[in-house]
Amino acid sequence: MKGKTRTAIVFLAAAVVACTPEGAEPALPQSDYALEEPEHFQRLALPEDNPLAIAGVELGRRLFYDPILSADSSLSCSSCHLQERAFTDGRAIAVGFAQRAGQRNSPTLANSAYLYKGLFWDGRAHTLEEQALQPVETPHELGHSWAAAERALRRHPLYPALFTEAFGITDTSELSRELAARAIAQFERTLISANARYDKVFLGKAKFTPSEKRGRDIFFDTTEDLPSGECSHCHTPPLFTDESYVNNGLDRADELEDFTDTGRGDATHQRFDNGRFRVPTLRNIALTAPYMHDGRFNTLEEVIEHYNSGGHYSENVDPKIKKLHLSERDKKDLLNFLLTLTDSTFVHNAAYANPFLQ
Amino acid sequence: MKRLLLATALLSMMLIFSTCGKDDEGGGDMAELVLNFTANYGNNPLVMFERTYDYEADMDFKMQLFQFYLSDVRLLRQNNGATEEVPALDVDLLSFANIYNDADAAKGINTETVSIPAGTYTGLRFGWGVSPQLNATIPPDYPLGHPLSENYWEDAKSYIFFKVEGNADLEPNGDFSDKLTFHVGGDNNYRELTFEKTFTVEKNGKLTIPLSVDLKKILIATDGEYVDFRQVKQSHSNTSPAAVFMAENAPSAIQLR
Repeated sequence: MKGKTRTAIVFLAAAVVACTPEGAEPALPQSDYALEEPEHFQRLALPEDNPLAIAGVELGRRLFYDPILSADSSLSCSSCHLQERAFTDGRAIAVGFAQRAGQRNSPTLANSAYLYKGLFWDGRAHTLEEQALQPVETPHELGHSWAAAERALRRHPLYPALFTEAFGITDTSELSRELAARAIAQFERTLISANARYDKVFLGKAKFTPSEKRGRDIFFDTTEDLPSGECSHCHTPPLFTDESYVNNGLDRADELEDFTDTGRGDATHQRFDNGRFRVPTLRNIALTAPYMHDGRFNTLEEVIEHYNSGGHYSENVDPKIKKLHLSERDKKDLLNFLLTLTDSTFVHNAAYANPFLQ
Repeated sequence: MKRLLLATALLSMMLIFSTCGKDDEGGGDMAELVLNFTANYGNNPLVMFERTYDYEADMDFKMQLFQFYLSDVRLLRQNNGATEEVPALDVDLLSFANIYNDADAAKGINTETVSIPAGTYTGLRFGWGVSPQLNATIPPDYPLGHPLSENYWEDAKSYIFFKVEGNADLEPNGDFSDKLTFHVGGDNNYRELTFEKTFTVEKNGKLTIPLSVDLKKILIATDGEYVDFRQVKQSHSNTSPAAVFMAENAPSAIQLR
């Protein structure tokens, strides 16, 4: 992310600390973390109640990689979100505590700071802070209880001081799940991926190969001389997601109640949302197999073939899911374009790595 | 350089819009303005999925998405015999994607509520779509959640002004298997509308202006010409005949309620 970057630093009044009534939440720390926002991305709307701070981000990174939040101290957030896989796990369905299988595929955390229309595949969490609270007590994830995790963190030789540094707590009893979630959210907001080959081309620092360029034009429906891939309606740059919830025709469902996984409908209880899932980013897509909310496709070739086929019927399948009539060459070129979305600097960024191994 | 100029122009425009309100906050009496849009198809409310709409030539269809941008919303008032424009709202995106029943359709969708000087106005003016000045900007110019942080069509260098998506039964055999996706943008498809009517709003009051948009009038022109779904099921180009046709029809589809 050299060159054109935006630096977001928000300074909050540290004097608020002095005014905090006894028993109230600890005051907000001074935001001193310089988050480099890519100039070619939309501007981030960072939450005022959880400003980024160096101490908070570092605490969040530690918590993210520390198995202390799992029931038997064997798993951490990083167990399902591996940096080398762009913070996914390579499994079709996530596997958690006691080898319990989850319900869905582990999504990438790349650019999760930009997700403002809901997190998880069904969008049931509204913020990263809200999201970070859930896996600890989910039986097939970390399988723990927050009460026990809080006790472990309070007893730990380092964490009370780290929470004091990050959030200004004055007593160990103030160390809470909410502050832990805030710290994890702060770390996750720093996971920005914007240095793929696509970005270099976009910024005029590189050129596509002829095949990549042709694939790009199919992806973006650029010219009537090529078939339309219909991809960019939902996988809209620069984030390569519009964050909408879509039924992309994976399964035939004669009735909307027939979906095995009702997806977005779980969160909204609206039957027309059944079978819809959050459109995932395509950034680093070559690193995040298998694909779809249930990991049913092992390769990008299978994914492209699914879309080329036009998908399966249900009442709410998105109208943009239709037979594409792509040739073998079209599919290959489209794949080559997708490969340009891999950001190797992201998966090797030491700032995102496991601090216990550094 | 071009980007810098655009950003400067945008900033200037935003200042104009915001300064107007702030000046009045300092010395004048302020009120609130909101536009409420309902959508319909002829005499029927426009709802997603739940209703089947009779179309021309034995074609029926159901909706999945209807959304549109409004921009440069201004109120008109008289000042020494001249018509003066009072900027109210720079841009908003109204989506009917979550309208699934008649009751919600009747409630309509509100624009952002904005501050305006209290007083008497003689009309309303706004653009259907994104004004050329704003359409020269790009999503990275905006924070996430801003209406212009999404729906951008990179290759066309335009926001998508409005979307009509649904499923048609063209046989007809009850099988709504034909997919309709009409996306329309481009400066050539921007339309400015003016409505003359007297509105009065007191200090600290709220002026709600009710409007309606009739999808039928977007698809079928006043002379009876219509978008033939058997010939065209999608428009993803600013200059396609269907896109231009629908944009031309839009002004007659929008009315004060």
